[in-house]
Amino acid sequence: MPVPADNGIEVEDLVRQFKNGPRAVDGISLEVKPGEIYGFLGPNGAGKSTTVHMLTTLLPPTAGIARVAGFDVATEGPLVRQVIGAALQEAALDPHLTGNEHMRLQTALQGLDREDRRARGTELIDRVGLSDAADRKVGGYSGGMKRRLDLALALVHRPRVLFLDEPTTGLDPQSRSALWEEVTRLSKEDGVTVFLTTQYLEEADQLAERVGIIDAGRIVAEGTPAELKAEIGRPSVEVVPRDPARADESAAILKRFGRPVPAAGEALGVRLSEGIDELVGIVRAFDEAAIELASLVLNEPTLDDVFLARTGHHLEGDEGAGDSGEIPLPDGATAG
Amino acid sequence: MNDFHPGSRYLSAAFGVTWRYLHNLYTRPAQFIPSLLFPLFFLAAFAGGLSVVADSPDFGYYDYTAFQFSFVLIQASALAGVFAGFSIASDFELGMGRRMMLATPNRSAIVLGYAIGAASRLGVTWVLVTGVSLLAGMDVGGGGLDLAGMYSLALLGNIAALLFSAGIALRFRSLQAGPLMQMPIFILLFLAPVYVPQALLTGWIEPVASVNPVTAILNASRSLLAGEPTGVLAAYAIAFGLIAALTVWAITGLRRAEVAG
Ligand SMILES: Nc1ncnc2c1ncn2[C@@H]1O[C@H](COP(=O)(O)OP(=O)(O)O)[C@@H](O)[C@H]1O
Ligand SMILES: [Mg+2]
Repeated sequence: MPVPADNGIEVEDLVRQFKNGPRAVDGISLEVKPGEIYGFLGPNGAGKSTTVHMLTTLLPPTAGIARVAGFDVATEGPLVRQVIGAALQEAALDPHLTGNEHMRLQTALQGLDREDRRARGTELIDRVGLSDAADRKVGGYSGGMKRRLDLALALVHRPRVLFLDEPTTGLDPQSRSALWEEVTRLSKEDGVTVFLTTQYLEEADQLAERVGIIDAGRIVAEGTPAELKAEIGRPSVEVVPRDPARADESAAILKRFGRPVPAAGEALGVRLSEGIDELVGIVRAFDEAAIELASLVLNEPTLDDVFLARTGHHLEGDEGAGDSGEIPLPDGATAG
Repeated sequence: MNDFHPGSRYLSAAFGVTWRYLHNLYTRPAQFIPSLLFPLFFLAAFAGGLSVVADSPDFGYYDYTAFQFSFVLIQASALAGVFAGFSIASDFELGMGRRMMLATPNRSAIVLGYAIGAASRLGVTWVLVTGVSLLAGMDVGGGGLDLAGMYSLALLGNIAALLFSAGIALRFRSLQAGPLMQMPIFILLFLAPVYVPQALLTGWIEPVASVNPVTAILNASRSLLAGEPTGVLAAYAIAFGLIAALTVWAITGLRRAEVAG
């Protein structure tokens, strides 16, 4: 299928200020190219869903401009809705309807021709692997089944732009990779533009062609995963001395090899200033100082490092949270 | 892909909403039966217990059961609208509202869909209320055209009540707003000449009833049932006026729901 030229998303200084609430989206600008998979990566509460709600015309922006497939979300809502599909973070499903009945409702809401409805419904139910459960009430579906149904429902009218808000959160690894496959297929074969939010590094890394990292309502970094990691450049090393009393000594040794970076728990981290070749030197230095190590880990740069460098805290969960207070990053650390 | 007529697409969305509404209604008797029993209870209580009113020489209507039937018909029809309003509130509370808002280019189709659903359930309600009244010995004075006029007025009452409830439901998007949909309509209904004709009302209720739009509709409905139509055009004008005003109320409610996310 040829990719229409206007399938992209353009966002300029988009703001959403909730009444008596936070400025959940605080002036973001981004561009998604037609047919591209764009990963919107950020921790809980960063403003991902609020952004999706504005782009899907569920919530009017407080300020700024957003165009989806060339249509302004604030003034051309009906046109936007005709060309987008969306699976929101909380799949809105009716527990009293079966999978097939949801299809019937969705195809009617989307105004599909009567003759096409049944065939399209069956095709999509089949594609997401729900054929066996299609006549069961959704109230009895697992979380993964609900997500799959929600995705199928979002596709009934062959949308040109697809929004997926944390589509794999809470899914088992198998369902997750099945969904990744389907999203990739939609983008590659059907030319669908995909705007996908996630809290997972690997998801953004593997699935998205370009990634926008959002924190506290602002985009802190944007680019292809490779570009972003290249900004960070060098790998880091984390060590844990067997004897906690020798932590200071160990930190001093590490400092000779690069800039200290936050690390989880007892570990001490350093961003290598030369690169991976220094690993041997580090091992030798600890050997010479007769400090036994409980562990030594080499970390290639990840999107979390990008996030850390830009925000001073880790992206994922509790691990490493609060470390940034212990080892304050020098100002220069945010330079690309 | 999207090359269907906007009009047919609009109706398709509305009928989708209607289909689901009726599907859930009729597949869950626990939701549906109580709404049917309610008007029957009123019919039994009033027509049975208060029929002495008809012995008064000033009563001036041909049949007390018919007198009560007219009220219960309008009440049950309005209630059917209110119950559909409950469904709107619950759908917006539990997320289905969002699915509909996302999938429907022109969102007023959602309100239309519920309105068609609320009107569709009238069939069962009318058959039941009318059947029970006939069994209770109600005489029918009017002819076919009179009765069509009477049922049409009940339909307009249903639409008005639905639009009123939809306006509340879309503003609050929570079932907790249920009493706000139900109470005003109940109060309005009972501030009409429910038990005795308007001419026999005394005290504060008399001036209130005389300006209550339900009074005009109820009086016209009773005159149609008796086969002596009076004030019917005025009643229709009032009903359509109410519907026009309440359409604005419902659509502004929809706009509120749109900006609330
Ligand atoms: N309807 C709302 N009213 C007030 N605050 C809200 C509302 N929705 C979200 N927020 C707040 O906005 C911020 C961003 O939320 P959200 O966009 O859901 O983040 P994410 O999807 O990245 O987890 C959070 O602080 C959240 O509490
Ligand atoms: Mg979210």
